[in-house]
Amino acid sequence: MVRLKSAADLEKKRAQILSKRDPNKPCITVCSGTGCHALGSDKVHQAIVSELSRNGLKSKVDVRRTGCHGFCERGPIVVIFPAEICYLGVKPGDVPEVVSKTSADKELVDRLLYKDASGERIAHEGEIPFYKHQRRIVFGSNRLIDPKNIDDYIALGGYSALAKVLFEMSPEEVLETVKRANLRGRGGGGFPAGAKWETTRNAPGDIKYVVVNADEGDPGAFMDRSLLEGNPHSVLEGLIIGAYAIGSHEGFVYVRQEYPLAVSNLTLALSQVREYGLLGKNILGSGFDFDVGVHRGAGAFVSGESSALMTAIEGIVGEPRPKYIRTAVSGIWERPTNLNNVETWANVPLIINNGSDWFASIGTEGSKGTKIFSLVGKVNNTGLVEVPMGMTLREIIYTIGGGIRQGKKFKAVQTGGPSGGCLPESLIDLPVDFDELTKAGSMMGSGGMIVVDEDTCMADLARYFTTFLADESCGKCIPCRVGLEQMVTILDRICGGEGETGDIELLEELSEVVQDVSLCALGQTAPNPVLSTIRYFRDEYEAHIEQKRCPAGVCKALISYYIDPNKCSACGICLRECPVEAISGAKNLVHIIDQEKCTKCNTCFEVCPTRFSAVVKISGEPVPAALPLGTEVVRKKGKRE
Amino acid sequence: MKKVRLNIDGKDVEAKEGMTLLEAARDAGIHIPTLCYHEKLAPYGACRLCTVEISRNGETRLVTSCVYNVENGLVVRTDSPKVIKMRKMLLELMLASAPVLSELASQYGVEKPRFKAEVTQCILCGLCVRYCAEVKGANAITFVGRGVNRRVAFIDEVVSTGVCMDCRECFGLCPTGKIPRETDGASFEGITVQAVLARTPW
Amino acid sequence: MARGKAKARSIYKSSAKEKSRGGKATPTQTIMGSERVPESVLTRVSDKLGIPVSQVSHMVETIGRVAQEAGDTDRIVEKYRGDKAALIQILLEIQRENRWLPRDVLMSVSKNLGVPIGRAYRIATFYKAFSLTPQGRHQVSVCMGTACHVRGAPRLLDRVASTLSINPGETSPDQKFTLHTVNCLGCCALGPVIVVDGDYHGNPTPKEVERIINRCD
Repeated sequence: MVRLKSAADLEKKRAQILSKRDPNKPCITVCSGTGCHALGSDKVHQAIVSELSRNGLKSKVDVRRTGCHGFCERGPIVVIFPAEICYLGVKPGDVPEVVSKTSADKELVDRLLYKDASGERIAHEGEIPFYKHQRRIVFGSNRLIDPKNIDDYIALGGYSALAKVLFEMSPEEVLETVKRANLRGRGGGGFPAGAKWETTRNAPGDIKYVVVNADEGDPGAFMDRSLLEGNPHSVLEGLIIGAYAIGSHEGFVYVRQEYPLAVSNLTLALSQVREYGLLGKNILGSGFDFDVGVHRGAGAFVSGESSALMTAIEGIVGEPRPKYIRTAVSGIWERPTNLNNVETWANVPLIINNGSDWFASIGTEGSKGTKIFSLVGKVNNTGLVEVPMGMTLREIIYTIGGGIRQGKKFKAVQTGGPSGGCLPESLIDLPVDFDELTKAGSMMGSGGMIVVDEDTCMADLARYFTTFLADESCGKCIPCRVGLEQMVTILDRICGGEGETGDIELLEELSEVVQDVSLCALGQTAPNPVLSTIRYFRDEYEAHIEQKRCPAGVCKALISYYIDPNKCSACGICLRECPVEAISGAKNLVHIIDQEKCTKCNTCFEVCPTRFSAVVKISGEPVPAALPLGTEVVRKKGKRE
Repeated sequence: MKKVRLNIDGKDVEAKEGMTLLEAARDAGIHIPTLCYHEKLAPYGACRLCTVEISRNGETRLVTSCVYNVENGLVVRTDSPKVIKMRKMLLELMLASAPVLSELASQYGVEKPRFKAEVTQCILCGLCVRYCAEVKGANAITFVGRGVNRRVAFIDEVVSTGVCMDCRECFGLCPTGKIPRETDGASFEGITVQAVLARTPW
Repeated sequence: MARGKAKARSIYKSSAKEKSRGGKATPTQTIMGSERVPESVLTRVSDKLGIPVSQVSHMVETIGRVAQEAGDTDRIVEKYRGDKAALIQILLEIQRENRWLPRDVLMSVSKNLGVPIGRAYRIATFYKAFSLTPQGRHQVSVCMGTACHVRGAPRLLDRVASTLSINPGETSPDQKFTLHTVNCLGCCALGPVIVVDGDYHGNPTPKEVERIINRCD
């Protein structure tokens, strides 16, 4: 690669790349994010390459492995350009047909197309309801580029924002633009990025640092992973622009080690960017020096907290520090450090290219721009969605998410990860907005949006989050370390059938000290799941405690499995599948579960054919007395013999 | 050095810029309880006992006085009902794993804790670890583990050089007396990293 | 095993006599890597030094292992140019290549970098990525992220744990498997997810779990 020594060089390079590309040439793209990879997209890609080769089509049809498309529920995803035909759930066996129909017949493989509720097939990616209602200004480029090839990013206009900033704007002007756009942090805090940049810029000291927080510890959130894997350059470009505005010459990307593909794509991107002279000394001949180091996490949620992360970069165990002196003033090695989330940085080139007014025209009064959410849990369309701030939860969950799986009933949506709260159906028309979500007792957080249904126990969910946080607590301060442990003990008792009157009040009392006196944000927000579920689902807690009943049928200690003799048809499946041989019965004889042996593994419930649905979960009342052994099953025409 | 004027518990106090609320209060003869604070060590903020309530521009919040710097016009309450409530709760939580603190706890009206925990007689104030690192430079004792599994442990390789036997200055610092008790007769065996690793869940 | 291993030193070369005995020469034995020193040599050393053969064998293995680890450690520390701030990164690489962090490695890395050994212990016991005991040849991870949790991850974990006969965090006695729980791998659409040696499997049935485990040799 030839080093680019000026803005003009970059434009020449861009023109050169584009001149070699024919927008009308068919290109088969295969989504290669971790999700599709787990579903076998590698094999699909290989099959496509072989098939094209076999048919002598290598020069006629391009193949490209792209970043994550977001529709993870339906992977592996293959999109054919230029028509943007979208094939879902593609297997290697489908490839010959895809290739032949694309190149020769220009027909469609119907069975791989999206089918909507009325049975209509939708061919174009943009028309699929999942995508149609999104606004993918940040995430959209993933599907157009191969993250391992910087030329794809440049072809789309990449690094033009950087060139504009270096040669046409002063650092102060960049700062003003970001401030006017009102870009708020996308990692959870929602703090105005422009203000943070300004504090860092104005802090005393010549050496300043910029950091990308790619620790993404919230379980259920994978937006940052997909951005970093799928379009690392968007993040890097934003980072370099920020460094210029702040006056920093050294940056760090802190990536959690559970994301090996993100680490490797990022490392490759960095080497390509350096080769082109877009990173390092004298970037594009502007005189601005800046370089970046990659630092991997080692498996601790708390190290994603900004002061802890900076301590880890110093090579010391990543524990939070008391935050009265902001890290923007005293951060890594006590030097001014500006830390922002992956998605925050990725928005910067867009703001520079399109202007702060454009950015501020999207979203609500207090929350500008878009937000990428990981919509997961009991929805039909699991995946990553990018929507303008202000869209309602209802629209996201139903119109984009396709509603609740298996026709079940919506119960709650959890936003903000372990620091957030659960919102019930009554709040489903709430707009996604930093302040609105906080007012309701939850928060935006990094973008995790977990939908739960009638089969989810809210006390169990609160216990899950609190256990997670207690496990991840660094243990330095007493309220978090001991307080959370005690809250887990109480929640274990409640879910274990040993709840006592007064437990809810004790949980609230502990929550107060943990929330108000903990050293860092982990502890300070840790009681949110418990408090929000008590606020909106108190009756469930009370059922567990007073009636020893789990309304959702989840808490093992409070449920019993029972085969309804009126529905059992003695098919024998549950008897065979029971791992502890707790079911007795025979052909034509009602099957009976031995409650002493039953381990509540749920297998019988899962395997009983839907047309019988004979296995039921009973909670809060005793299991009906077993019928005498040898009782016959209901036979033909529903009459008992 | 610039002077800062603030109000603590109704008393007008003059402090030097860069001082913490705790230092300013002590200078003015106002008592704030602490467990993990030591003049020779960088403030740590682990025990949270020194929590106080500050008000400014009509807004009130809780801060840890050992790490919060004085500011002009700050109104501080070291014994408001909220602060007392929080202190009591902290002591009750500490008492569960360090029953030896019962005397201090009863001073704040905390008798029998409602909580059960593994009795380690350690509140992880870190005085031993920090003193050995910052004052002695020996780094003979460290933290291992995370969360409720966090423990203090002497480094076998350093103890075996005999340097701890000669020093033993951390013994007097330990607010629960755990260190002198568990090294009774100057045997560090039970409390070294290898020993702790052998008996903890992970 | 580790890439770029230091070249093995041979301690025993086949003699001409051995070669003439029937064509196949005794292969050059090494003390590095997994090849073993022949029994005859162990016996001779045992006789010479007056110590049991088992002790000689143990020493040979230890020398091999330590030499290997020392070579790896030095190489990794050098890669980071002795930068103290890279301590966590260095330990991550050693953990990945070696499958665990032996005590003497922690000591030598601390010494090499000029940091107190307590810092290395603190890091090694704080983060989930590190193990102070040898891990199994096959790494099995069950995702316990929120999305997987609501889709039944605890039950999947129970099934996997009982199939392997170990609890999360444990290694099987034959050092074949180590079972981990992970807090979110980021493939929530597949949930609940189990990863075996880097291969992802979504929502496996109990039979599939058995099949996946049995495929590991």
